[in-house]
Amino acid sequence: MVKKKKSHRTRTTEVNADCVVVCRCEEVTEAEVREAIRAGYHSLEELKRVLRTGMGHCQGRGCLRTIARLVENETGIPASSQNYPSSRPPLKPLPLGLLGSYRDDEDR
Amino acid sequence: MTKTADVVVIGAGIIGAATGYYLAKRGRKVIVLERDFPCSGSTGRCIGGIRAQFTHDLTIRVMLESVRMFAELDQELGRDVEWYQGGYLFLAFDEARRQTFLKAIEVQRAYGLKVSFVSPDDCCRIAPGLNTEGLIGGAYCPTDGQANPFKVTYGYLEGLRRLGGEVSVRSEVTAANLRRDRVVSLTTRNGDEIFCAQVVNAAGCWADEIGAMVGVHVPVTADRHEALVTEAVEQCVDPMLVDYRPDGCYFVQNYGSGHFIGCYTPTPLVPGRSTEASDEFVTEMPRRMVRLIPRLAGVRVLRQWAGSYEMSPDGNPICGRTPVDNFYVAAGMSGHGFMFGPAIGKHMAELVDCGSSTLDLSEFRLERDFGKAEAMK
Repeated sequence: MVKKKKSHRTRTTEVNADCVVVCRCEEVTEAEVREAIRAGYHSLEELKRVLRTGMGHCQGRGCLRTIARLVENETGIPASSQNYPSSRPPLKPLPLGLLGSYRDDEDR
Repeated sequence: MTKTADVVVIGAGIIGAATGYYLAKRGRKVIVLERDFPCSGSTGRCIGGIRAQFTHDLTIRVMLESVRMFAELDQELGRDVEWYQGGYLFLAFDEARRQTFLKAIEVQRAYGLKVSFVSPDDCCRIAPGLNTEGLIGGAYCPTDGQANPFKVTYGYLEGLRRLGGEVSVRSEVTAANLRRDRVVSLTTRNGDEIFCAQVVNAAGCWADEIGAMVGVHVPVTADRHEALVTEAVEQCVDPMLVDYRPDGCYFVQNYGSGHFIGCYTPTPLVPGRSTEASDEFVTEMPRRMVRLIPRLAGVRVLRQWAGSYEMSPDGNPICGRTPVDNFYVAAGMSGHGFMFGPAIGKHMAELVDCGSSTLDLSEFRLERDFGKAEAMK
């Protein structure tokens, strides 16, 4: 059986939460995330609507796991129990002109 | 757990949030029950347009009031809801559409709305870069606008909490318990029982399932609509553009953030509550947007999604009393729930609180003839 890795601690060194950007696309800091969690928003879906975390270019691939761990750290709700918002096409931003000129028959 | 409330509102979309807030403001103890999280239904998937350009008299009156309320919502809720009065420009590419708009404008003007039919050149001034090929003009109302659905809905719910109300998320209603034709309590999936004097069914495209729990049929069905959002770019288009051609679309640039956000109505319609996104949409919508404003070709699409229009048979809301004395309904907003929210919420609160509303919503009653459809869906 493969031995599972020990879970990461949320933070290993003390840093100023105001300066730590958690969601880089929407420029949301750790302090802002913690404040929203303390205001009662405990799911990734709610935090996304309140803070825009995960609404940017990367659709949350860069930040949602970190945020789930911040929720666990603040509330004890296990990060593994979170529902992750869906990633939707296009997985990387594509120009309207390129998408709009796509035709099915070009595939063949 | 057992709880008590004066009024339980089912659904934390815009209609439930606004109704709950205005009830709490009138001194009622309100509990909002939400099956998932606030904005998890239609409200959180809408594109945030707000307009008074409709053809149904009562809808126009509701929206004139909603627009006034949106303009003051920042102060009311103590937060920025990104309200911006950028106008709505409905484009006419054929004579029949022009006639529909001219007729609608006559009705809208009678209610004091500043709306006019403008030339293709004017359309181009209002929406710089617009492709005027085949265009014969547009219905333009500069007082229409946009706001952020999340900020408005969460703003109402936070306001409701400040007023002593409660929002219970992940609390799907599983049963309504009746005694002598009145709802006595509601049971939720997490085992709570909430005793209450009145219930408002604001469950959007789940409204019929909720109604069935008390034996009231609410004729609301879901149609899947898709949407997309682009990266943020410099502010360049103010109004919501609406192209009603069979292969048309509608989109707006979010003021302040700069994202373009838009959708189209599929033909044929796609019934059901699926929120699956399609490959067809993510290629077809960009084609339609670029046809309308060619200089958007280089703007990149960030994400697409889908959501439900919660449709009534005639495209108008279903609001008011039901055959069950203390059970009210506010659903079937038919794609316009976000913009109707403030006014419908305020008047539903009046109706529930004191038995009548300052704007008579009886034309939207549940038991009506659903024959006459809204022409500017």
